[in-house]
Amino acid sequence: MSAAAVILDVKDLCVQAGGRRILDGLSLTVRAGEVHAIMGPNGSGKSTLTGVLAGRPGLGVVGGSAVYRGRDLLAMAPEERAREGLFLAFQYPVEIPGVNNVYLLKASLNALRRHRGLPELDAFEFLNLVRDRLAAMQMDEALLNRGVNEGFSGGEKKRNEVLQMSLLEPTLALLDETDSGLDIDALKVVAAGVNALRGPGRAIVLVTHYQRLLGHVVPDHVHVLAGGRIVKSGGRELALELEARGYDWLRAGNAA
Amino acid sequence: MNAPALLARIADAHARIAPRLAGGPAWARRRRGALERLLSRGLPERRDENWKYLDHARLAAYPLDAPAPAGAAPPALPPLPLAGLRRVTLVDGRFDAALSDPAGDGVQVQDLGALLARDPGAALALLREPAEDADDRYALLADAFAAGGALIRVAADARPASPWCLTHLASAGAPAAHHSRLVIELGARATLVLIERFATAGAAATFGNLAAEVSLGPEATLVHLRLHGHGPAAAQVETWVVRQAVRSRYEQSLFATGGAILRSDLRLALAGEAAECRLLGLFVADGERQVDLHTRVTHEAAATRTEQECRGIAGDRGRGAFNGRIVVQPAARGADASQSSRNLLLAPLAEINARPQLEIHVDDVRCRHGATVGSLDEQQLFYLQSRGIDAAASRALLTFAFCSDLIARLPVPGLRPTVAAGVAAALPDRALLTGLA
Repeated sequence: MSAAAVILDVKDLCVQAGGRRILDGLSLTVRAGEVHAIMGPNGSGKSTLTGVLAGRPGLGVVGGSAVYRGRDLLAMAPEERAREGLFLAFQYPVEIPGVNNVYLLKASLNALRRHRGLPELDAFEFLNLVRDRLAAMQMDEALLNRGVNEGFSGGEKKRNEVLQMSLLEPTLALLDETDSGLDIDALKVVAAGVNALRGPGRAIVLVTHYQRLLGHVVPDHVHVLAGGRIVKSGGRELALELEARGYDWLRAGNAA
Repeated sequence: MNAPALLARIADAHARIAPRLAGGPAWARRRRGALERLLSRGLPERRDENWKYLDHARLAAYPLDAPAPAGAAPPALPPLPLAGLRRVTLVDGRFDAALSDPAGDGVQVQDLGALLARDPGAALALLREPAEDADDRYALLADAFAAGGALIRVAADARPASPWCLTHLASAGAPAAHHSRLVIELGARATLVLIERFATAGAAATFGNLAAEVSLGPEATLVHLRLHGHGPAAAQVETWVVRQAVRSRYEQSLFATGGAILRSDLRLALAGEAAECRLLGLFVADGERQVDLHTRVTHEAAATRTEQECRGIAGDRGRGAFNGRIVVQPAARGADASQSSRNLLLAPLAEINARPQLEIHVDDVRCRHGATVGSLDEQQLFYLQSRGIDAAASRALLTFAFCSDLIARLPVPGLRPTVAAGVAAALPDRALLTGLA
């Protein structure tokens, strides 16, 4: 098997929220250089998985473990996870009126740089960098000076998530249904942003309901999440099979 | 009724101070009349409807004596970044000619103390006599100790090219009380931008009491920015009465970010048809600060409009109150009033009481109001943290964000950075906000 370093090792993870068990013994190993796709029907626990890995409040870990680059991920504060190179692209990016988008980008990038012992970027260097990434995302520069996600269309919010990701260059990127609600042009731009991040030192976990993003970002591994655990894993062909046969095929007892 | 000791202190201070004040027998009579009414009715107390949330005992502990005779240098405030700004300055409640600019551009400024001495009759006619209700009791106190203040008059059709800045300074020295009067009159179609600032020398425990009257002639516009940035131990009480004629506009933005206690009362009458007011307010009650904002807007005429928005933040043991009443009288057909109060509680011992009130006596009106008191949004906090910003800095950022659109709506754009810095410096997590404002 692959000799690349393990980036994320999740074992028997059980998570409860609102008095309900949502993840129920989930295990997943992600190595450097890999792209994993996690697919599953609505309510299968996909967003809970990315949420608990990023440190979303309100999720109670009741069993199992998640180790990120040799450290206990679940013991780390959300900001520490981010500084250590974990990034979550939100399914529903939060609107924060009054916090300037470009201010957040700069504060965030500099927080990560400080953590890594790198000098902070000055205003000039930062703007050059952000303009470059903005162009790649085909985003309007005017969006920089709006409140974070404030009044952004659904597609603009998703592009803004990928813009942040491309600036922060995470070691582990978790994308939570970043493809949903995008038209085909936006999907291609987002996919290009994700593909640009692919590299030997990084890993990407794509959570998606449909296989359509996977036509543009080809995964190394595909997992099916159902009932709070991974019920089937395979290669890219598994996504195609799911697309053709639907999730009911798994519920019908083929989950082996 | 107030503790007898408080009333005795008022009477005692009056006996010492009043004989030294100008205005001759006419003003001696007026002050004595005000004192007697005050002694028989007392200062407002917790049981008075609009005075529930103020810590009266704490306010009563402030001095009632007049400031020591001049000599102590007044505090210096950093200049505002506005070209051509004209100044009116009150030091310890008295007009200070050396710190004020001469009249010009249709604006006339008079020293009320000098007027009192020179023409007591004219001063009597000019200054409103306070009413009987509890809400006017501090204005009555100002009347009992009336010594001076300023009159600002803008001639009909005048549009001064630059804003005026009215600064209230409390000089250093022994703890002291200063009572001042202010009269602002805009003639028909006149326009004035008035910025008001407050400053206290060091940590002096001064008590400021301001009674002010504003009258706007037909189609006049007053843009009034009020920056309440007192010293940390200062208390300020103010009573504003505003009367607006036909199609006049009053635009107030109030930022209460300093002092130990601020009680602000505004009674505004939309007396002429299609008169409008916009009242924006923000208070930050951190530490032990108390901010108590009361407004009462009366729609007396048809097609009058009110837009009111108040934001409040309380941290630590801070206490804030917003009580806004809008009364729409039967004659005010087609009136439009909106009122909102949004508040942020940042600490378990902090307290905010928000009471928007609409009282409507006619059918054909459009009125909306709402009030919320909440804490920071968990989802927004998580979003910022997930971008590597630590929890405390995320909270500070969101708290500032709560204020920022009111700052962005300041009608004098050149003042926005100054106000933003003042707000940031007053927030509980101010140390984390450097470089933001």
